Amino acid sequence: MQRTRTNDLRDAVAAAAGVALVTVAYRWAHIANPTTIALTYLLVVLIVAAASRLSVAVVTSAMSVLLLNFFFLPPVGRFTIADPQNWFALLVFLAVSLVASNLSSVARQRTVEAVERRDEMARLFDLSRDVLLTTDSREAIQQLARFVARRFDLDYVAIALPRGADWQVVTTGSPPIELDREQLTLAAGGLGRTLEFDARERTYSGHRTIAADGRDVRIVPLRLGIKPIGVLAAAGRPVEPGSLDALGGVVAIAIERVQLLEERKAAELSRQSEALKSALLASLGHDLRTPLTAIRVAATNLQASWLGESERRDQSQVVLAEVERLTRLFEGILDMARIDAGAVATDVQWVHPAQIVESAREQVAHTIESHPMRVDVRAETLVRLDPRLTAAALAHLLDNAAKYSPSAAPIEVDASLADGDLVIAVRDHGPGVSAADLPRLFDRFYRGAHTSRVSGTGMGLSIVRGLLAVERGRVWVENCAGGGARFAIAVPVEQKPLEATA
Amino acid sequence: MPSARILLVDDEVSIQRTLAPLLRSRGYDVDIAATGSDALQAASQRPPDLIVLDLGLPDLEGSEVCRRIRMSATMPIIILSARGNEKDKVAALDLGADDYVTKPFGPEELLARIRVWLRRMVSDDRAESGRQTLGDLTIDYDRRRLLRADEEIRLTPKEFELLAFLARNANRVLTHRAILKALWGPNAVDQPEHLWVLVAQVRRKIEPDPAHPRYLVSEPWVGYRLAAES
Repeated sequence: MQRTRTNDLRDAVAAAAGVALVTVAYRWAHIANPTTIALTYLLVVLIVAAASRLSVAVVTSAMSVLLLNFFFLPPVGRFTIADPQNWFALLVFLAVSLVASNLSSVARQRTVEAVERRDEMARLFDLSRDVLLTTDSREAIQQLARFVARRFDLDYVAIALPRGADWQVVTTGSPPIELDREQLTLAAGGLGRTLEFDARERTYSGHRTIAADGRDVRIVPLRLGIKPIGVLAAAGRPVEPGSLDALGGVVAIAIERVQLLEERKAAELSRQSEALKSALLASLGHDLRTPLTAIRVAATNLQASWLGESERRDQSQVVLAEVERLTRLFEGILDMARIDAGAVATDVQWVHPAQIVESAREQVAHTIESHPMRVDVRAETLVRLDPRLTAAALAHLLDNAAKYSPSAAPIEVDASLADGDLVIAVRDHGPGVSAADLPRLFDRFYRGAHTSRVSGTGMGLSIVRGLLAVERGRVWVENCAGGGARFAIAVPVEQKPLEATA
Repeated sequence: MPSARILLVDDEVSIQRTLAPLLRSRGYDVDIAATGSDALQAASQRPPDLIVLDLGLPDLEGSEVCRRIRMSATMPIIILSARGNEKDKVAALDLGADDYVTKPFGPEELLARIRVWLRRMVSDDRAESGRQTLGDLTIDYDRRRLLRADEEIRLTPKEFELLAFLARNANRVLTHRAILKALWGPNAVDQPEHLWVLVAQVRRKIEPDPAHPRYLVSEPWVGYRLAAES
């Protein structure tokens, strides 16, 4: 308001100067034709009306009438008028100048409004563009509030969404205003029941202004169609009600969009987890059934009297191998559950890399027994790591190598130290990893596109990755030039020379 | 009688290593095949008396193996299946397999099935006429009558047809599809409700306790079997 008053004063001074200039100029030029002079004054009044407010134009009109009367209408130099005709002319001049001022002022007002409306439209447009860019992230509503504040130059914006009996309120801007939950409920209470259009304000009912923390906060209902979905609160720059309505509409659509995206994401996640579960069940089914059948039949055989010594040994070997298979399956599931729960504890010790390889081989002894192994450990130092986790990860790789390569194909294991990492690689002579499988190879329950005939759960490699992550290690795979795949794990380790243990 | 020869088809070494000694211990000759193509080759070169076939083979679908064997041979085929691949199992039965056991199975269960099927191959000439006895039931094909201890059990023509069809394939698992096709024609195979109703009617008439059928046994998700052994 202060600014407007200063502006008016400045305009009034300029107007007075203009009128004075006209007066002086005509006096100096000795031009005394009242019509010319009146029209010139009128010109000044119109300019003032176009540039400033109506009140300034009215003051200018009054000044013009007085000056015209005093300096140019006989008797000159006095405020009296001799000729009654001139009275009439003076009144007409006053009327014309007032009407013209008014018209000009109204036109100006319209222009200002149009500019403002265009401005608001541009803000709404920008906002809707912003809204389309919001993702389904958890901060989407917060982001939305920030967009509204930025695009509409508001100091404070809050979006309140009903959550059962309470409200979820997301705010942005400073200073923060504590919104009264009662007020929100009250504001929302009127929603949905009445929806009247206020033609003068060009807005729907439901807007209200509440005082909170000593500030005026505009409350705008958010509706989808006529369904109320929440409340938008804004403080700062005044925004006209029509724009607030449109703003409310955009925000409501944006909220709906965010919620739909969230729902879609949740549905997608649950679909994926269903698919994972059924994949697990299907593969578990097969992986449990075969060992159980074999164990059951072998146990029956072992009871029989017809069995020779070597056959007896053979049957018990089958039982041991199948029990080992079940144990590994069970430990795999357990490891996976531990990884999921973040409950894998590390227990670091000084060991020689060869011990890791040895321990892993033991775990899968029966599975790999038909494959010749070549082990090459090039390390002269002890390393400090968790031997159990590392060996478990390696055992999974050995298991895979045996499963996915033809019977009697050799498996090569080499361990070495490089850049502070213990690197252990397992190379098989199977079909290698197809390019299509690579991106998802380490995903849980993912099984290669052409491996459905090899029994397995798709847990192994994801467990390897999970176990190594606990040790800050990593696993990767490459296809070898001569065929077959080479899986390698690397674990960061401390080292110390062998003698130090003595 | 020379000992029967059984072809065991399974790619799992542990199953081969346990089932083969078991079967040999009961006096059967056992051939082993680890893949579908090996099985087909073995079946044509040295036709066995019975085939035990695992459904999860590395090269061919089990049902495909059944189909190809059935093109040239009639020996009984018993399927080893896992719960969860009912579709495969039904397909294999439709394409010529005779029976199935579900993993994990007890050895005695498999041995019993093998005994039944081998005995049938020796004794059964698939009565198309005359009389057939099932437990205390006697089917008189000539006069289309069913007797229990010389007392007639009245059946409608459709009921008799169902019983006769099952009895001609006694002990064999018949899929819903196969029964529907035999009784109502190929257009009826997708309308199992006919069959449910008919089976319930027959059970009420022939079973001592219709709630726990002894003759007309359900094979869940697969079909029915008329149990000839009691």
